[in-house]
Amino acid sequence: MRDNLSSIRHLPLLGIAALCSVLIGCGQQTSTVTRSDKPVSGGTLIYATDREPTCLDPHVSGDMPQVFIGQQYLDSLVSMDAQGQIGPWLATRWEVSADGLDYTFHLRDDVHFTDGTPFNAAAVKANLDHMANPKTQSSTAGGYIRQYRSTDVIDEHTAVVHLATPYAAFLEVLAQGFLGIESPTALLRSRDENCESPVGSGPFKIVRWDRQSQVELVRNADYNWAPPTAKHQGPAWLERIVWKFIQEPSVRFASLQAGEVDVIESLPPESHEAARRNPDLTLLVALRPGNPTNGTLNITRAPFDDLKVREAFVRSADVVGALKSVYFNEFPRAGGPLSSATRFYSPDFEHAQEYAPARAAQLLDEAGWTGRDADGYRTRDGKRLQVHVVMGNRTPPSEVTLWEQVQATTRQAGFQLIVELMSDVQATKRQADWDYDVRLGYWNTNTADVLRIIFGSEFIRPAGVGGYHQNTAGFNDASFDALIQQALATQDPEQRRALYYNAQQIASNQYLQLTTYPQSSRLGIYKTTQGVRLEPSLAVTYLYDAWVNK
Amino acid sequence: MSQIKAVNPQHERWAQLGRRAVWRLAGGVLVLWAVATLTFFALRLIPGDPVLAILGGQSANPTPETIAEATREYGLDKPLAVQYGLYLGRLVQGDLGVSYSQHLPVTKVLAEQSWATLQLTFTSLLLAWLLVLLLTVLTAGRRRWVSNLASLAETLSAALPHFWIGILLLAVFAFGLRWFPPAGSDGWRTLVLPSLALAIPLAGFIAQVTRESLEFTLEQPFVLTARTRGLSETAVRFKHALRHAVLPGISLSGWAIGALISGAVVIEVIFSRKGLGRQLYQAVQAQDLPLTIGISLAVAAVYVLANIVVDLLYLWVDPRQQGKTA
Amino acid sequence: MSALTLETQLPGIRVQRVARNVRLGPLLAFGFLLFVIIAALVPQLFAHSNPLAIVPNDAFHPPGWGHWFGTDQSGRDIFSRVIYGTRQSLLIGLAATALAMSVAIALGLLGGLGGPRLDRGVNWLLEILFAFPSLILALLFVAVFGSGIGPLIVATGLGTAPGYARMVRGQVLAVRHSGYIEAAVALGHPTWRIIVRQLLPNAMRPLIVTLTMGVGQAIVWASALSFLGLGAPPPAPEWGTMLSMGRDFVANAWWLTFFPGLFIVLTTLSTTVAGRYLQQRLEGRLS
Repeated sequence: MRDNLSSIRHLPLLGIAALCSVLIGCGQQTSTVTRSDKPVSGGTLIYATDREPTCLDPHVSGDMPQVFIGQQYLDSLVSMDAQGQIGPWLATRWEVSADGLDYTFHLRDDVHFTDGTPFNAAAVKANLDHMANPKTQSSTAGGYIRQYRSTDVIDEHTAVVHLATPYAAFLEVLAQGFLGIESPTALLRSRDENCESPVGSGPFKIVRWDRQSQVELVRNADYNWAPPTAKHQGPAWLERIVWKFIQEPSVRFASLQAGEVDVIESLPPESHEAARRNPDLTLLVALRPGNPTNGTLNITRAPFDDLKVREAFVRSADVVGALKSVYFNEFPRAGGPLSSATRFYSPDFEHAQEYAPARAAQLLDEAGWTGRDADGYRTRDGKRLQVHVVMGNRTPPSEVTLWEQVQATTRQAGFQLIVELMSDVQATKRQADWDYDVRLGYWNTNTADVLRIIFGSEFIRPAGVGGYHQNTAGFNDASFDALIQQALATQDPEQRRALYYNAQQIASNQYLQLTTYPQSSRLGIYKTTQGVRLEPSLAVTYLYDAWVNK
Repeated sequence: MSQIKAVNPQHERWAQLGRRAVWRLAGGVLVLWAVATLTFFALRLIPGDPVLAILGGQSANPTPETIAEATREYGLDKPLAVQYGLYLGRLVQGDLGVSYSQHLPVTKVLAEQSWATLQLTFTSLLLAWLLVLLLTVLTAGRRRWVSNLASLAETLSAALPHFWIGILLLAVFAFGLRWFPPAGSDGWRTLVLPSLALAIPLAGFIAQVTRESLEFTLEQPFVLTARTRGLSETAVRFKHALRHAVLPGISLSGWAIGALISGAVVIEVIFSRKGLGRQLYQAVQAQDLPLTIGISLAVAAVYVLANIVVDLLYLWVDPRQQGKTA
Repeated sequence: MSALTLETQLPGIRVQRVARNVRLGPLLAFGFLLFVIIAALVPQLFAHSNPLAIVPNDAFHPPGWGHWFGTDQSGRDIFSRVIYGTRQSLLIGLAATALAMSVAIALGLLGGLGGPRLDRGVNWLLEILFAFPSLILALLFVAVFGSGIGPLIVATGLGTAPGYARMVRGQVLAVRHSGYIEAAVALGHPTWRIIVRQLLPNAMRPLIVTLTMGVGQAIVWASALSFLGLGAPPPAPEWGTMLSMGRDFVANAWWLTFFPGLFIVLTTLSTTVAGRYLQQRLEGRLS
């Protein structure tokens, strides 16, 4: 038994930094796997992912697993290419009014949903209304279009969308699968019914959801309206997709190695090296845009109400060391508030969080945390320097381990980091009560406007009764808010770039987060499958161009 | 000798069984009622507003209108006693409410998930019995070292925790040798490793009891008689001794159903199988009250039923037991 | 879990056979238990490195001379963690068993002494508790009271209590009708005195063995809950938590899950073997 086990063990500790950057570059530039140039029509692709969504309609709530399935059966109004440029899709063209408040969309006239309902201006209106309706409980899509006021149907294929305030990121978020367009007929059904069997106009349609096991999708034979970013037109190559849920990372990877499944998502970092060495497998990795994985510091209470203590905490955490052991050097360090895959990202802030224990010690001395108690923790006025990290039970073990390492290194600086694991409901309650010092999080979105959601003062108040605030730091800064609003009011890319640069600078200087690594989409692909792509807006799996040779 | 009534003994035996079954079923219903009541009040103890839990989920931001609506719908504005009455009323009609983490009626979730768990449980039980019979019949009362070795194997397997064997089986037979798929819920091949992980410790328990009882039986006079009639050793063991020796094991099997369902929680998580166990684990984590109550009830029902069956089986195998147990 | 000894579940059935001639078994078992107890009291005696000290550069060392059981994902020495973990695991096992026994004695006495109506009530209560598979009872408990060491002990204790209670009741009933109790009653001794002086000690004697085994089973049980992420929070070196944190790396680093599991198995095995040996001694079977 031991022999068997040791023969299959790999120690992928050799992933060096160079390899890592090659990998990232690879993810951003060429997100296509190709082994043979001739696509084959027909066949079933078995896809395995980690998390099962609670609802298949990505408008409702809005978690990453939903958008991954959504991308297969939904089309969006506009598309986004690898350079972040917005292109046509269900809308052929559009005009934005001078004040930035009215968007006129001219729509395709040859599109219908898989239930037969035609796609038209009324459908656009029904969808935006659905996302904005509080009853939908749409956190993501609804949250992205808070400026939405109403839609006017001008004629069958022209719709005018009215916004309350200028919102330059509107087209960007419309390109995300979260805001995919669903059949208005299907949306008339109850929320739960629509969660079970949503209807879109995409290349596949959902036929069955076998809970805790899989979702089955079949090809939409009528499909003839692929986005300009697609590699072909007409119906998808694949006849059928079986979308499986395999929670355990090691089990998911083993299923791929055995060829039981064709593609896996969330390839565990500990298996990257094994996957690279396996000639049967290909890796497809791309960073996701938005706010990287982080621990956000609550600046509304001691000790993090003091900027010096915040910087000291961030500087005393050896994140690079932790990434190396927990994620086998497969994840690069993220040092700034935006992931490098985000449009208008600036690399200038990558080094603000570098490990500097000496500086941390000096800062803590300056902040008055000069005492040391018997256990070696710093004290001030007899109070110990304590930091409470509130985590939900479902936090992945690797993430917990990462914070254990942060705990160990910040301890040397004199911080007592207390990890509190609790049920998600309890953790959400603690967040709503601002009863934490650090909350873990990330925010995947394809626009630098994410800075407004995570640090803007309007997001300090909870989004609804019993809900929680999204500005976890509690950062409230009028000049920052003004910058972000200016960036939304202009469509000029260079102006936006300059404004977002300043916003990143403020966020970075304030040490509001300990950022760890950018979120990424990591696919492992078995040799039977080709043409799998990661769609650029959120680095989401896109199987329209994929085919299988079995 | 007193007068013998002309009663068909076979018929009488079935009537006895029937009476016993009805009596036990009535008791079972009472137990289920108690389980439902206990769970209801236990879950009401959870701190926090049940409405927020119902509308909960990690990212839900319910509006005051939805809260008011849900409060009315679930009768949460009424006194606890009334709520309990409503709850029981719905229960009797077979309405277990709607799971708010699944957006589905609980009965539907149960219908979708039960089969996978039952399949796993019963395969494990069968597999365990297969192992027990192989191990005990072949080795009981044989040469001392054979018997000792088998007995050591039993003690050892009884001490193995499911989750650990599960992981070892997975590492060796799915990751290493790749004989079986590491995950999934369809086809017999996906059933082998999970049911082995559940069956091995159980087989250890049952085998210990059965071996002892078999060794005792093999020393009884009627076995000696059978041997002197020239029956082969194997025939003696299978035809005569076994029938008596399996009795304690059978009564253990009823208890085993409960243990297997407990074990299924962990095993379904490890092998990414669908089923009630994993669903319950998730429901508890999400504080999904209706689903948690629903699954607990379903599991208790299976346990109660299984024990009735075992009781009757016992009676059938060994009619002497009639009237002995209350 | 089937982790409950069948002795605790089915009082009528006793395994009386093992160790008929194998004396080596009990010897090894007692030896290992002694080792575990010493490790729990003075872990420094065996483990020389800090179980919480992380060395990211030393992560995932396979077992070898430097690290007998290898190192985990944070470069912590697994041998040290397993040794330091004995205290917590043993404590959980003992506390849970003690709790289970207290509940069981209360219920058992009530059932055994309280007259037929009360007895039927207790019996029925036990029937209900049995209808909840133990892990599900524990899951419910954790749902209500949250996770952590305290709830873990109580959940484990409550989950195992019905089995013990059934045994206590059986013993009390058996002892109650024995001559010396009837004699004591006839002599007009006060009831509480009879219970404390005569009934309990005599009823409990056979249970001592079961308790020995029970501790091992409670450890398995608690690890199952920890394994599901409902027990001791990491980085505590608790065996179940270690298993849970290591299971993502089964394919890369088997030692993360193998050794904590091995200690759980050895502890359970030892308590079972030792318990049976004691049983035979107490029943005078080994002359």
